[in-house]
Amino acid sequence: MKHANTTFIKSFGFSLLVLLAALPVSYADRGQHAGRGEHTSRGGKATRVQSLRAPSLRAPAQRGSALVNRSIHGTIRHVDTHAFARPLSVGRDAYVQQRVITHHDVEVDVNRSRYWHGFVFGARHHALRSGYVRILVNNSPYFYDDGIYYQQTGDYYQEVYPPLGANIVQLPDGAVEVFSGNIPYYYAAGAFYMQQNGGFIITSPPMGVTVTELPPGALQVSIGAGMAYQFNGIHYRPVFANGVTQYMTFMP
Amino acid sequence: MVALGCAAALSCLGGCATSPREAGAEGGTATQAENGDRAKPVIDPQADELMRRMCDYLAQAQTFSVTAEVWQDVQLDSGQQVQAGRTVDLQVRRPNRFHAEVHSTRHSRGLYYDGTSITLLDRVHNLYGTVPAPATLDDALDVASERFGITLPLEDIIVSDPYQSGMGKVTSGILLGPVTVLGVACEHLAFSLGTVDWQLWIEQGARPVPRKIVITYKDEEGTPEYAAILSNWDFQTTLPDNLFTFEPPAGTLMINVAEIKSENQARKNGVK
Repeated sequence: MKHANTTFIKSFGFSLLVLLAALPVSYADRGQHAGRGEHTSRGGKATRVQSLRAPSLRAPAQRGSALVNRSIHGTIRHVDTHAFARPLSVGRDAYVQQRVITHHDVEVDVNRSRYWHGFVFGARHHALRSGYVRILVNNSPYFYDDGIYYQQTGDYYQEVYPPLGANIVQLPDGAVEVFSGNIPYYYAAGAFYMQQNGGFIITSPPMGVTVTELPPGALQVSIGAGMAYQFNGIHYRPVFANGVTQYMTFMP
Repeated sequence: MVALGCAAALSCLGGCATSPREAGAEGGTATQAENGDRAKPVIDPQADELMRRMCDYLAQAQTFSVTAEVWQDVQLDSGQQVQAGRTVDLQVRRPNRFHAEVHSTRHSRGLYYDGTSITLLDRVHNLYGTVPAPATLDDALDVASERFGITLPLEDIIVSDPYQSGMGKVTSGILLGPVTVLGVACEHLAFSLGTVDWQLWIEQGARPVPRKIVITYKDEEGTPEYAAILSNWDFQTTLPDNLFTFEPPAGTLMINVAEIKSENQARKNGVK
């Protein structure tokens, strides 16, 4: 009898231990999936499915792993083929930190209208809109407004090509980051900018880089047997890059 | 004894509510996550079975046509997220023919693969470019993507073995049950590749074709999604050779197709 009692106590104690050990697991599991379970009307199947759900599925993204950009979406087979590290801090403005477009998904078709899309070389205006800035480039006065440069001629402000050496504080809206080797440039309205001393300066165009759109008003020209575009002395040749038409700078 | 029985029953409720298979799966996941490897995917057998069924069906189809409406998240400069759409008309003839027409408001493109070359046609700018391609669809897809940055639309369903191609990177998968997509009864499957999630809605019944595909990029800012809704599946119509052979339309100019492999590799340095 004493032996039986001892066995019973041992068994009970063991069961109690198992129970105590198991309950937190059960509760943890319920807590983890309760929210999602409410959205599922199919009781049995849902419970089983939930128990299979890997609790750490979102973990990699939530752990703050480096963000990436992709030039192509819509494939699992090549999901990582065109994934690149996202620049950590790129700003149009050293103070405001507005964002620069660091990549385009080439397939995406969204109408992105920029102020500088309206650039017409030689167009004259009686007045500039508010927000323009005066700048000096090689001792010549210019007026600058979001990608468009003007020079005063008599009573007019005339739209001119982006002058080499112009130094601006903020990149034009929609400036796109392009790389020549490992050197980053920012392209907008037919000008290539480099970051310098807290601002951005127009530099000579790097050859062999592709941009997603032509400058506004680029002229079609014949180069040998081929066709190209020209804007402010810079030549662009259409090429298929990442499967869509883009434009590569070149020296004719 | 009642207490013992109760304790045993409760302990079973707590500890045995998960079947041995499921327990193994959960345990495997934890170990997998801790180790950071992808050795043992955790896939619901029912989801796996449905996926295999769909993939086998597509793999066995010698020819098919399908239309897809694609919607894709894109961030404006302001950070606001919007969607951009396009339609894809796709024809496939195994083992080495492919043709797609991709249209949106401002773009119109044709893609042709005839077993020897891939041609891109930009109908808006009247430009085309051709590159030599391997003799099989799978190899052509890989060369196009890895060397030229061309991802042929819906490539995951046109490869010769969609299951092997897609599921090789999957780390988990579940079956979420029946859902209707544009009036068609489907089974909703959700897979994860870790930083990328992949959902499929597979038509119920004798023709298990994908009706909707969603890919969520959790490793990109704003976790953008790509969604394709597929319709007009046709496995009967004969697809002749001339559908896949490119003939330059009058007035089009040939341009180069830029090789991006080296550029991609350079940019990948220090990325992963």
